[in-house]
Amino acid sequence: MNKTIKVARFEYLHHVGKKRFWITLISAPLGMVVLILVTTLITFMTIDKSPIGFIDQAGLITQVKDPNYKPGFLDIEIEMVPYTDEATARADVENKTLQAFFIIPAGYESTYQVEYYANKMPSSDITEEVISFLSRNLRLGDNIPNLERIQAGSQISLRSLDGSQQSDGTGWHRIVVPILIGLIYFVLVMSSGGYLLQSLVEEKQNRTMEIMITSVTPNQLMVGKTIGNISVGLTQIGFWALVAAIALFIMRNRIPFLNDLNLSAGYVILSLGMMILSFIVNAGIMATIGATMTTVEEGQSITGLIVVPMMLPFYFMQAFFTNPNGTLPKVLSYIPVSAPLSMSLRMAFTNIPAWEIILVYAILIISAVLVLWLSGKAFSLGMLEYSKRIRIRDLFRKEVSNG
Amino acid sequence: METIIVKNIAKSFGKTEAVKDVSFKVSPGIIFGLLGPNGSGKTTSIRILLDIYQPDRGTVEILGGPMDEGKLNKIGYLPEERGLYQDVEVNRCLTYLATLKGMSKEQIAQRLPVWLERFDLTAHQKKKNKELSKGMQQKAQLIAALIHEPEIIIIDEPFSALDPVNTQLVKDLLIELRNQGKTIVMCTHQMNQVEMLCDRLVLIDHGQVLLEGSLEEVRERFASNQILIQSDNPLPQEIAGVESIVKEGLHYRLTPSGNLTAHDLLRELVRQGINLNTFQVAVPSLDEIFIQVVKEGRNDHEQND
Repeated sequence: MNKTIKVARFEYLHHVGKKRFWITLISAPLGMVVLILVTTLITFMTIDKSPIGFIDQAGLITQVKDPNYKPGFLDIEIEMVPYTDEATARADVENKTLQAFFIIPAGYESTYQVEYYANKMPSSDITEEVISFLSRNLRLGDNIPNLERIQAGSQISLRSLDGSQQSDGTGWHRIVVPILIGLIYFVLVMSSGGYLLQSLVEEKQNRTMEIMITSVTPNQLMVGKTIGNISVGLTQIGFWALVAAIALFIMRNRIPFLNDLNLSAGYVILSLGMMILSFIVNAGIMATIGATMTTVEEGQSITGLIVVPMMLPFYFMQAFFTNPNGTLPKVLSYIPVSAPLSMSLRMAFTNIPAWEIILVYAILIISAVLVLWLSGKAFSLGMLEYSKRIRIRDLFRKEVSNG
Repeated sequence: METIIVKNIAKSFGKTEAVKDVSFKVSPGIIFGLLGPNGSGKTTSIRILLDIYQPDRGTVEILGGPMDEGKLNKIGYLPEERGLYQDVEVNRCLTYLATLKGMSKEQIAQRLPVWLERFDLTAHQKKKNKELSKGMQQKAQLIAALIHEPEIIIIDEPFSALDPVNTQLVKDLLIELRNQGKTIVMCTHQMNQVEMLCDRLVLIDHGQVLLEGSLEEVRERFASNQILIQSDNPLPQEIAGVESIVKEGLHYRLTPSGNLTAHDLLRELVRQGINLNTFQVAVPSLDEIFIQVVKEGRNDHEQND
């Protein structure tokens, strides 16, 4: 087996064998599930599930209960109770038999207004229940073609004149997908990049480095470590993606808007390409830090500085919504570490000329080459510096003192 | 044929000249002492030898040519700055390091238990390195340096963390390896170990060779005509042909004058009826030679500066 692969294999198994890896791996989806469950449970428990009365002066309600409705786990079902006079309904609200009542006045079909009486503001779930109850009865007996499509509203597709760019209407994925790309990128950098940094500094800290470089070449060591640690990050993301796919498969019938997720191949390829190049830049920065620092603690404190520019598009999200071709979104697109999220957001909201995409790719490629060169230099200078931190300016000198 | 040939190597880091001019040759089947005070350039010389650093000047030949990836597998190295993966089990760590030296799983499965047994680490093989004592960690590192049966063994302070029993174990092992024809380069400050183990030595300071040769050659070079004697009776104030008599602890140091030989002096002492317990030619210890040479070297260095 090639020595690079041996190093990569050891690095991978070394990190995957640690408790920390498994805690991170399981805690993220588990935390998400617990959060959703707790939120749903709290909502379920705090919602007033007592019946709501209604007085139908318009003669609209012909079906109080939907015969096709099958309540699922933690679904809220509010019983609707017909009343003939307002005084009785009001008395039942006072004695808390009802949580509220509403009157459907005569002429509702032209005004679409009801009067809702309660002692407290209805929650959004209650409002939705009432609206759904009214809509269902309003549609009963009518045969309207494409009713659901009409309710979903119109969709506008934007296309550039030369046909090279297009953007699909107002789909929810325009916001969610770039944010998802940003989060995946963030996790990849923080896990794989973090492991790479930790691994390099640890090897110096525990003095294994000198044995290593008399067994493998510095290149084999660096490439092996990078492959091993990227694989750790990809394992994490792969596992989470699998959990998410299973969750989506189970939930797809309950969350209909998931069916809207329809991404263009060009968008995905361009975004992934930028993410990979930017990750190489980040890995190079992490390796440079790892090679120049003498303790893991020092390295971790510096890592925080990388996170800030990476997260900038999240902080300035509003600027991307309002003016995706504005100065700030453009500047953030040209910074290698914030480029993947910035460009994904901009591509989702507007048309970006081909020259700008080429420019961003060029910046990323040049940065990746530069940072990898710098990390190689830092590694060869700093690998045996056990007590002295290498300064940035030292990297541009021929060699530093061996202490 | 020499396995290591170092010719006039020099290496600077910025304005610091770590190695100015170092040359030596090492043959197979000997233990070669690379000696020098702290900061003398020993570690830099070894790192140049191992191709970790490129020399500014000079050349290094290992096993008949420049270092390459294949030759790395023929070298076993115990560095001065040592350590192992702290949170990895001894067994797994040594297996990994052995695979990086080109060993197959079968070879490791065959040899590792033997080495662990020899160094009394069998019971500790499942422990993490950080759970081992410093001495045990050093023994584990020695296994890492030797398990692949290297042709060249470079060891820096091999006895530093070892108790007398393990020191003897390592000494016996080094002699055994020398007898097998391995080339051994040993860096140490323990001159008594050099005297016991090394066949040849080089002493460097300020990045330059101050002394080189076999142990006998070095001793002969620094041997004086002084005689050390131990006697039950006090010595007379003056002895014919003796320039000075100095009492040093239990013995006397006599400096003969002119051409008086040790044999003549012995005859004279016996003639005077002096009861001798010991009579020996004063050969300086390696410690003394080391101090003398380094001091002289530094004086020259200061004068040149």
